[in-house]
Amino acid sequence: MTLHFQPPAPDHVPPERMVDFDFFAVPPGMADPTEIWHDLVRQGVPSIFYTPRNGGHWVLMDYADIVEAYRDHTVFSTYQTPVPPIEPFPVVQPQGVDPPEHNVFRRLLAPLFTPIAVRGMVDELQRRAAGLIDRFAARGQCDFIADFAARYPTGTFLHLFGLPEERLDEFLALASTFFRSTAPAERADNITQIYAVLDALFREKQASPGTDIASTIVLARDANGQPHDWTDILNCGFLLFVAGLDTVTNTLAYIWRYLATTPDARRYFRDRLDDPDAFLRGIEELMRINAVSSLFRRVTHDCEFRGVQLRRNDRVVLPNTIANRDQRVFENPQAIDLDRAVNVHVTFGVGPHRCIGSHLAKREVMVSMQEWLRRIPDFELDPAQPPGAAFGGSVMGFDSLWLRWPPR
Amino acid sequence: MKVVVDLARCQGHARCEDLCPEVFATDAVEGKCVIAQPEFPPELEARVRLAVRNCPEGALRIAKSATGAA
Repeated sequence: MTLHFQPPAPDHVPPERMVDFDFFAVPPGMADPTEIWHDLVRQGVPSIFYTPRNGGHWVLMDYADIVEAYRDHTVFSTYQTPVPPIEPFPVVQPQGVDPPEHNVFRRLLAPLFTPIAVRGMVDELQRRAAGLIDRFAARGQCDFIADFAARYPTGTFLHLFGLPEERLDEFLALASTFFRSTAPAERADNITQIYAVLDALFREKQASPGTDIASTIVLARDANGQPHDWTDILNCGFLLFVAGLDTVTNTLAYIWRYLATTPDARRYFRDRLDDPDAFLRGIEELMRINAVSSLFRRVTHDCEFRGVQLRRNDRVVLPNTIANRDQRVFENPQAIDLDRAVNVHVTFGVGPHRCIGSHLAKREVMVSMQEWLRRIPDFELDPAQPPGAAFGGSVMGFDSLWLRWPPR
Repeated sequence: MKVVVDLARCQGHARCEDLCPEVFATDAVEGKCVIAQPEFPPELEARVRLAVRNCPEGALRIAKSATGAA
């Protein structure tokens, strides 16, 4: 079969490593968009391949290679990596800069997201989850995504940034356009709006600081005792806005769909509501199997990686869902084993850019499950509603999840 | 038996703390591993070994001698 690529393959890519693959394209009727990645494994594609789609990029398919790319910033940089390329793109802080510059904002944010810091947020997270669930629990039906999974992390963001609850709908709209729009003009306008909101927010916190994360960022001083560059401050706010919303929303959506269709799993977690250690172990497995994100890197210089010629500025996509089901690392990788003993999943990445919000994200998932199962112990997919439409991209998911349960 | 951490590798996943909080904790500044009880009692060995195997960075190891010089 002859494949006619538009644009053609770059000349450093050998034909045997070319695969026509678009990670945004999910066939109609496919319920789980991450299956487009697993289809590649079933097709037997090379473990390192290049697709001309979305501006052209490499894909690494082995756990060991993905981990290596996460760790080695001297080859695989996080600087301006979007796929397809968006230029200019903000140099997001600290995710979009490599060590040692990365350490400046990483050190500033790290204390705010440690396990110790997150344990201090549990009461607030519980209150928020309970408040959302109580709005619809008696109704016996909801669209889990619109009514809970989208609102919960966005509300948490407002809280962490010291913003009033009344602005939830405004932020939901900004986030929705950012994550779902594919119209270039709308996207550009949306980013401008997000920056305008962040600019106003940080100015307000500068004038009257509180104890929130926005105030901490704007009040921080660099090694010379000076305030950080205003652009860096905005870019840090931008990262925190975009990193913790869609990822959590879609992870929750996957988990709730699994729970709705798996009575044994609901029972497993219900039986462990008062045993946080066991509950958390089960959640690690849900994090492994429901890895919705693929991360991007950009090659820093012409070099050879595992015998493959890479060229400076080549984009590289790292699909976590593939790493997490590598049979050389995980026993029986396709099975969901809530008691899995060894689980070195890379859902939060590894290396210097390990997701700084991972402890908050896991706690959001855990608290949501606990508060939900206490109020709605059994639920199922609503057969009267159509299944949500799946979407691909760097964060995959589906746009609605209708659930029902016996009304109270 | 003694467990040691390579803090240059540790990235603060805190899986060790989740699996065996009797031995592992995390600091308040970077969230990196703090070994509260390096020379752990035999009854914790299974869980310490589980924590070592679950470190996504491979930052933990069990040293054979009490000095940690394995």
